[in-house]
Order: sequence, then structure tokens, then C-alpha cells
Amino acid sequence: MSSEPLLRVENLKTQFFTEAGTVRAVDGISFEVYEGEIVGLVGESGAGKSVASMSLLRLVERPGEIVAGEVTYKGETLFGLEDGPNGDLRKRDEMLSNEEIRTRIRGNEIAVIFQDPMESLNPVFTVGGQLREFIELNRGLSEDEARREAIDMLREVGIPDPEQRYEEYPHQFSGGMRQRVLIAMALACEPSLIIADEPTTALDVTVEGQILDLVDDLQKKYGTSFIWVTHDLGVVAEICDRVNVMYLGEIVEQAPVDELFYDTKHPYTQALLESMPRPDRTVADLEPIEGVMPEAINPPSGCRFHPRCPDARAVCKRVHPEPKVVADADGEPHRAACVKHDVFDVGYDESPPLEGAVDGEGSRRTDEPQSELAANPAGDEPGGDGGE
Amino acid sequence: MAVSSDLRTSEARDADRDGPLLELEGVSKYFGQGSGLFGGLQFDPDTFPPISVDRERVKAVDDVSLEIQPGETLGLVGESGCGKSTLGRTILRLLEPTDGDIYFRGENLADLSGEKLRQKRSEIQMIFQDPQSSLDPRMKVGQIIEEPMRAHGMGDDEGREARAKELLEKVGLDPRHYNRYPHAFSGGQRQRINLARALSVDPDFVVCDEPVSALDVSIQAQVLNTMERLQDEFGLTYLFIAHDLSVIRHISDRVAVMYLGHIVEVAEKEELFENPQHPYTKALLESIPVPDPRESGARGVLEGEVPSPQNPPSGCRFRTRCPQLIAPEAYELTEEEWAHTRAFMRAVKRRTFEPIAAAEMRREFFDDDLPRGDAGEIVRDAIDAIATDTERGGESADERDGWAEATDHLLEPFAEQSICARERPAYDLEPAYGSGEHFAACHRHR
Repeated sequence: MSSEPLLRVENLKTQFFTEAGTVRAVDGISFEVYEGEIVGLVGESGAGKSVASMSLLRLVERPGEIVAGEVTYKGETLFGLEDGPNGDLRKRDEMLSNEEIRTRIRGNEIAVIFQDPMESLNPVFTVGGQLREFIELNRGLSEDEARREAIDMLREVGIPDPEQRYEEYPHQFSGGMRQRVLIAMALACEPSLIIADEPTTALDVTVEGQILDLVDDLQKKYGTSFIWVTHDLGVVAEICDRVNVMYLGEIVEQAPVDELFYDTKHPYTQALLESMPRPDRTVADLEPIEGVMPEAINPPSGCRFHPRCPDARAVCKRVHPEPKVVADADGEPHRAACVKHDVFDVGYDESPPLEGAVDGEGSRRTDEPQSELAANPAGDEPGGDGGE
Repeated sequence: MAVSSDLRTSEARDADRDGPLLELEGVSKYFGQGSGLFGGLQFDPDTFPPISVDRERVKAVDDVSLEIQPGETLGLVGESGCGKSTLGRTILRLLEPTDGDIYFRGENLADLSGEKLRQKRSEIQMIFQDPQSSLDPRMKVGQIIEEPMRAHGMGDDEGREARAKELLEKVGLDPRHYNRYPHAFSGGQRQRINLARALSVDPDFVVCDEPVSALDVSIQAQVLNTMERLQDEFGLTYLFIAHDLSVIRHISDRVAVMYLGHIVEVAEKEELFENPQHPYTKALLESIPVPDPRESGARGVLEGEVPSPQNPPSGCRFRTRCPQLIAPEAYELTEEEWAHTRAFMRAVKRRTFEPIAAAEMRREFFDDDLPRGDAGEIVRDAIDAIATDTERGGESADERDGWAEATDHLLEPFAEQSICARERPAYDLEPAYGSGEHFAACHRHR
């Protein structure tokens, strides 16, 4: 993992300009994807993980706009801004045009698998026809060749009797089979990177297991890199090599998967892990995170997690932490955006605890929903940007 | 507050405890195909008469028997389409059971109708999955919570309002939000409103249909904790329907696993998760991604897909996918021979491989070692029908016929003759954990 990253994202910001104000859905995130690895993008609904992944391919629609940052893929600039002569920002010259993104990058270099396989397939065309057309257009094959290739791909992703299934329509496929078709479509042009946006969320556990195994096999075979967007830490533990945890538009922790679970450095990640019921052991008491995630329209000052954080102190209200390297994980950096770590050196230890953060179990119960409402009247599903 | 006396405490309820609170006996729910006057009619010009009445019915819930003890939480888990929600609704008589009896405190709900049933509904309530669509957006929260009380003629206006406010506080909301509309609340809070509404008529039994699956993890934990607290406080009995095994493991006392309309296993929570005895339960447990990167347990991925409930497999419904399908007794197959034959039979049935030469097939599926005796003959015949280099397989006009023939050829003597296909299993086992009953519908325990 010493070579150049396949994809480098620096300080990416995507905002939605709505009537109610500017929603800072993605607010300055940086991460890298190296060849052949699966990178997780984890967070609850509204954390901005889907918007972030769509921004990479410039698939953000109005009123949304990428307002800052740089996305570099194999040395090419997918997105980049620079200061213009009058001090305003303008797009960099080497940034790929929409045309180039469409013909060269999307599908051929970077493919996407969406959450809902029914909505991603056109119900009035046969599954095979859609796959064939995709291959025909992107790889410039003749119709017959593309058809053969499409059938091969269907077989590759474990669809039985592919010649027969080629002629069928999406509604004749089960959810798991449709998701296999989308994987076939994503793999058809042998891209170097696949963005998978909650691809198994809508599936049953046994089918999810089948798909995860399939991805694992195909990833080994083709060496494709993945950005795996999910809210499920179980899936993360199973499949990812490195993980980015997002909270309210920002990456709060970035670590290899083992360190994330066994040497957790951010209180949000910790809280998330503790609030989960476990399939592998009986947890007597769940420790929920208090309140709900505030809206990205008017995020809390300082650290955005401080109103819900059990470790919050006065300083957390003032200082906004950027992720910094807080530990070394076998040569790889383990980053966290929490001022309780020494590298931040902003006087966390001396700072008094925030009032009402954690004051006894008794008051928590009745206080919690009120703060929930005060923070945000309809907090769970802002915008519905492809969350659950 | 005079109303508070309505809220019976759990001790008061313990008094009327004897036997199970709810008992299902052979409950079935079938759905007809299509709807409307001509919905069941089929037109087929090739037959005479060309119109027939479609008798095929979807067996969503088929002959389910269960007991739920007062004060416990029974988790009902299964994949989508297994019939768990239908069962929940049938218990409430929101759906008419096709067959069977539902005893609630000894009274058969399946016999009740009209006013009597309506009155009974104050004792059984339901919480739905989608907190958005289960609340009327044009009603204020107060009205929503009071509506069931009004329907059951409980209290006067003032009393109802006082109780609604009390309930808002109990479920962890601010009573001052009595006059707000549902849209002003987040998903987790809406589910709390649902809870308050269900509790308003002071039920004993609540059917919770995926109550937390639409919520984010951190919110999920909040709502689960509230539900547990309310259960203690009001002495409630829950039937908790969910597909998420982690949630089930957290909240249940006992767990029932459902597959294609049948209950396949019932046991106490610890027993079911630590000592599962049905191959389906095992597969389900192995499939869950565990939030632990060091847990690299091999997954016993299930082959194939769930069969149609319209025409479910005979005997054990899981047998068509079961990794431990029992060998038919007629052929004395060794375990290895049977494993090979079983894998080959399923591969042919699902057409998971491309036609290849006979020798190649033998190598791939049987290590060049066909079973002895009659079984070997059957396998050889099937290979002949699909191989590319045999007379029958190679020259067959339509390749598809060969596969269908081979499939029939294999299924009839092997799959259909297995005890799994001939008898419906039902066995009571000794538990390894705890002292409760352990039911498993699997013939390996015969």
C-alpha cells in the first residue's frame, strides 16, 4: 500500500442550497482508496455518506453542488477548484469535462451499485437487454459479442441458467438476483473502482450473505477496489479493509478495520458500537446514544458530536477538530477527530465537563427525548438522500 | 389524577395468571390469487372448458401452533415472505384465519366477530413497522393517542387527555407536545407515539411488527430500551416480529423461527442462539455479518432461493435447500456418496453449470466414483441426458428437454423418497441451555 492511491479525495465539500438554508451535507472530507482494497464509508442516515460517494462521480444534482475540494483518480482530476484572478473559485483547467466523465470514467473506470435493485433496472426492458446495451455502449462491442459477454457476466455472478434468464424482465427476478444483475453490470467493463451504496441493505440476511461472499470472490479475482457505503457495522467488519466513519458531513474516524473495532478512538464510533444489539452474544443493556443527529443545515459549534457525546467537555463546544493521526496501526495512520487525544493539545484535560452531558441514569430517561426534540424537530430523515 | 388508577400495575395482573396468555392451534392463513369478482378465473384456450377457477392459494401461514406466556416476549424471526407478519395480523384478527384456533385467555378469538371482537381488541394492540404511515398526518398527537380510548368508550374528554399526557411522558416524550402534528417528530419519536397509542387502551398483549427496523442503530437502542421499560411497568406481553436476529436476541425471552409458513424451531433465546438444532436456523445465524473483524467464521451459505408458497415442498419445507437432507433409505448410500449425489441433483435442478462431457461431469461431481448399485444407475442415466458427448444429450432437439428429464430422473428417486419429503417433522428436544422446551422441525432428530 505504498504506491499512489487509486483515488484521492481532499477536503471535499458538497452543499445543498435549499429554501431553508444551506445544507452542508458533506463538509470537508478527505480519504484515499488504494488498489484492490475495500474502503468502508459508514454512518447513520443523514451523515452524508451517499452524497459523498455520488460527489466522486459528480452525480450531484441541483440544488446540490460540490463547492470545494479535489478528487483525483489515477492522476486525473475528476473535480478540482482553484482561485481565479478575481479571488473567486473557478474550475481547474485539467478537470475532466462532463463528456469525458460520462464516456471514460463512469462505468468504464468507476461503476456504481445502488441500494434498490428494482429502481436501478428498467422494468420494461429485459434484464439481458439492459446489460447488453450497457456493454455495447461502454466497450464498443458488436451486439452479438455484447450478448455473449452479458451472458458470461450473468453466469459469473451466479445466476443459474443465464441464457434463459437473459430474456426475462426485472420483476421476474428476486431481490438478491436483481442485485446480482447490478453487480454483473458494474463488473462488465472491468472498472478499477466500484462504489457500492448500501447494496445489501434491502436484502434478507441469507441473501446478503450470498452477495457478500460473491463480492469477496469477485474482488479477489478482478482486484477491483470498492467504496462500500453502509450503516451496518456487521457488514463493515466482514468485508472492509479500511473504514471511514462519518458523522454529520464529516469523517470522524479513519482506521484499518481491526483497529476501528478493537482500538476505537472516537467517542461516536464507540457509542455506535455500544448501542448495537449483537447477534453473537446476549447484551443485557443497550447503551443508546442520546438524542438524534442534528440537521446539517445548522450544525453544532465546535465538535459536531459534542451535544450527544459522553466525553464532551467545555472545550469541545469551541474547538472544531479536524481528523489527526492519533495512533499508528502497523504503519498505517489511525485518524480521529476528537480533542481528547493528546495531539490536539487544546486543553481537554483541564476543561470542565459539559453540564448535563451525563448526569446520572435517572434523569437521562426523561431528559433524552426532550433534548431530542429541541435539537431537531424531524431529525431522523433529512432529505432522504438514499438512506434507509 | 383519577385516570391513573386505570393503569393497572404488573402485580395486579399476576393475579389472573394461569396458563398461557395466547395459544395458537393449527392456525393457517391462505390467500387467493388475484382479487375482485373474476380474480380467480383462469383463461386457457387450449383446454375445455377454456375457463377454470384458480384453486391455487398462497399458503402464507400453514398450521402454526404456538404458546405465549404472560409477561414474556416471544421473538418471531424469519426472512421476508415467510409469513411472520401475516401470522401477527391473523392473531389480531385483522386477517381472517383460514383454519385453526386462537385462544386468548382461554377464549377463542377465531370464533368471535362483530362487537365482541371489537371489545376484545382493547386487550390486544399492534405496533407497525413504518412510523410514518401508521400515524394520520392530519391528527394531532393527542387525538391520535386518545382515539382508541374513544373507540372503546374509556373515560371522558378530560380523563382521556390526562391519560394521553401521562402516556406521552411514559414513552419518553414531552407531554407539552400534545398538540403537535406527527410531522414535527423524528422517526424514533413517532414510534414512541405509536407505543403510546397502543398502550392507551391498557392492553395485555402487544404485537410489534418490525417496530425498530426503520430506525437508525442509535435510535433503535433508545426505542428498544423504552419498550423493555414499558413491559416491566405495565406487565405487557410482546410478540416481537423482526427479521434482525440481533434485535431478536436482545429483546426476546423465547424465539420462534419461521420458514415458508411453518414454524421450524422454538426455544429459549440462549438455547436457540447457542444450540440451534434446525439447519435453517443454523444457516440464518451463520449468515449474519458479525460486527467483529476478528470473527472469520465460515458462512454456510444457503443454496438457491425460497420456493413459492403457492406450491411449497412436501414434508419439511426447507428440504429443497437443506444442506443436511437425509438420504432415502432405499439405497444404502454412504455419506460421501449421498453428499455427491445431493450436490449433483441440485446443480442439475438449478442448472448452475454448463453442459459438459459425461466424463467431466463424473469427475467434477463424483470424483470419478459413482454411487454403487441402483443409485449409480440413476445418476448415470441423468448424466447421459445432459452430457454433450452422449447420444441422448448431444442430439436432443432441445437442450432444455434433457435438463428437465435429468431433473425428474434425479428428484423422483432421491429427493422425493427422503423422509424429509414424506413426513412433516416435529420433535421436542432436550435443551442444552436453560430448562425450557426446545422444538425443532427436523427429521435428523428422529
